[in-house]
Amino acid sequence: MTRFAAAEDHIKTPPDDAARRRWWVLALRLAAPAGFLIAALVLPSFMLDTTRPLRGTGLGPAAWPQAMLALIAICAVIWMAQTVIAWRGGRPVPAATAAAPAGETYSHRKALIGLVLIVAYGWLLPVTGFPLATAAFIALWCILGGVRHPLAVVPLSLVGTVVLLWIFMGLALMPLSRGQGVFDQVSVTILQLLRIY
Amino acid sequence: MDSFALLGQGLQNALAFGAFSIIVIGLLVGVVAGALPGISFVNAMAMALPFTYVMTPTQAMLFLGGIYVGGVFGGSISAIMINVPGTPASLPACWDGYPMTQKGEVRRALSIALTASATGGLCSALLLAFAAAPFATFALKFSQPEFFAATMLGLISVLAIAKDRPVVSLISMLAGIAIGTVGVDPLYGVPRFSFGVAAMQSGINFVVVMIGLFAIGEVIDLLATNRDLRPAKTASRGLPLRLADLWLIKGAVARGTGIGCMLGVIPGAGATPGAVIAYGVEKQASRHGADFGTGVAQGLAAPEAAKNATTGAAMVPLLTLGIPGSAATAIMLAAMMLHGVSPGPLLFITDPSMVYTIFAAMIIANLLMIAAGIGVAQCFSTLMRTPPAVLAAFIVVLSVLGAYGVRNNIFDVYVCLAFGIVGWVMKRTGFPSAPLVLGVILGPLAERYFMTSLANYRQDWTVFFTRPISATILALALAFALWSLYPGMKAAVDSLVRRRRASADRS
Repeated sequence: MTRFAAAEDHIKTPPDDAARRRWWVLALRLAAPAGFLIAALVLPSFMLDTTRPLRGTGLGPAAWPQAMLALIAICAVIWMAQTVIAWRGGRPVPAATAAAPAGETYSHRKALIGLVLIVAYGWLLPVTGFPLATAAFIALWCILGGVRHPLAVVPLSLVGTVVLLWIFMGLALMPLSRGQGVFDQVSVTILQLLRIY
Repeated sequence: MDSFALLGQGLQNALAFGAFSIIVIGLLVGVVAGALPGISFVNAMAMALPFTYVMTPTQAMLFLGGIYVGGVFGGSISAIMINVPGTPASLPACWDGYPMTQKGEVRRALSIALTASATGGLCSALLLAFAAAPFATFALKFSQPEFFAATMLGLISVLAIAKDRPVVSLISMLAGIAIGTVGVDPLYGVPRFSFGVAAMQSGINFVVVMIGLFAIGEVIDLLATNRDLRPAKTASRGLPLRLADLWLIKGAVARGTGIGCMLGVIPGAGATPGAVIAYGVEKQASRHGADFGTGVAQGLAAPEAAKNATTGAAMVPLLTLGIPGSAATAIMLAAMMLHGVSPGPLLFITDPSMVYTIFAAMIIANLLMIAAGIGVAQCFSTLMRTPPAVLAAFIVVLSVLGAYGVRNNIFDVYVCLAFGIVGWVMKRTGFPSAPLVLGVILGPLAERYFMTSLANYRQDWTVFFTRPISATILALALAFALWSLYPGMKAAVDSLVRRRRASADRS
């Protein structure tokens, strides 16, 4: 590098804070490919539960997944290299970008609460049974989504649950969970009331 | 019996009261689900899967076929009326359809979209009816290496579609294939990636992954954005479709239909790339290309014809090879498997009645779509008054039911919810989820065909390249891969050359 180019680079160097922020940007952009790389390197050791030698000819049961993980590792390295090169050149990296349409406000708080609510619904299904968990979920989701009038929320959750029970347990004969302990008895009573049982 | 006689018999079966009612119900469900942003026809098909338990295999396919045909069009109703595409494939309908609505030509825009979609869909259904049987006869020559090559072509085509970010799309697809390896290995019977959890040994079902990735992420976005889905009050005094309009869009519809039929047959492609590519081609081909985006009839007609033209074409690889080329056809495969039906060339010999009834149903569904589309468009404003929170709550419950219904297993619900979180993160970060889904669907098939090919041919690796059909398909896959990687490689080389020149100039 010539003295002139070095001086030019020195002048162009951003202040400490900006530089640190840029490093954080790079670190964030590298997180996804690095995650894939680590997963691809670590997962082969968790592939097979058995330690006994496998009989027979051929490539074996580990060959295909190992090949896929190796390819993921290679692609992850390429993705990281692309990210670093693009970052150094100040160009937009070929990585993830926010997906929200322009002009639309996005409530991450609501999204996270929604995710927690969905996970809780899935977790509660085998505990409280489908009827109770579903009625509670529909009511809570409506409240979270801004439908708060009791005259709307209560009938909606109850009628909705009854219709779903009738279609899936009554018509399609799907063995949905009735819950455990006292919840099982409550579910059976509801199903008997609806003439499903 | 020849194709005409079999199709006649199929039409007779499909027009029987029970079968016809199922097609109509499926069609209406599809159009409504497609029109409602956040549901999409793929989710609707996944949610409808448990309902098919009480049906015969043929009825199940007619129902899902109806949802598929109706849903692909339905997305354009919301795209044209409120500028929110109901399905990703309807995105191009926003570009020229919504400007027409803004000009007060909503009825004309909907009529053009309906006519183009029905024409594309009908041509595609006819292609399915008359080309599938000869293709199935040809497919009888296929052995394991050929099936492996066809599956690879489907996987590679993901790269061709995601030209802008091939590495990221490739990682997504490979991750999907890796997820597909969870569970007991098909050849050796050894559990993989079960982490000591007994339920993991039964594997991860692709329908469950699809429901989680597509439905949950969409629902969370619906809640977080609290979108107002009501159509704006615009004057709709404009004239409906005129004869002159039909003359105007004839070329666009023909080109769109051709592109849709070609792309639909390729496993991995589908309605979305079909519609986007058709829009791009039409922009180049049309004399009004420069005005596209301002409400040009051809700009609306071409992608509409293309996306519905993929529906029948996408069923060709499903029915003739047993390889689902898209998420929608994957659900159809799941429905067939749930009913103990194995799609493939032999199905044309063992149960031609079922196959031709499906063909006839696709033709009928495309004809009925005009009536269904008009009906749903009329009720759309009322439909959109449903608060998004209420819609979302029922989507979640139906998704959970859909996941549970695949194997009547609560573990699948947990898997679905886990993929729901993953899907939301992918959606927020722009990480492509479609290649992952395709990997989960086609990955286990590719592995099975690959391993059995080697087992059948004494571990001879050259078998894939020495058999003519397999070699041809693999060459096609390679051409696809190179075509997709070429722009990226060219840009990288150009950038390197430019940087070298710049540094040489500086020194």
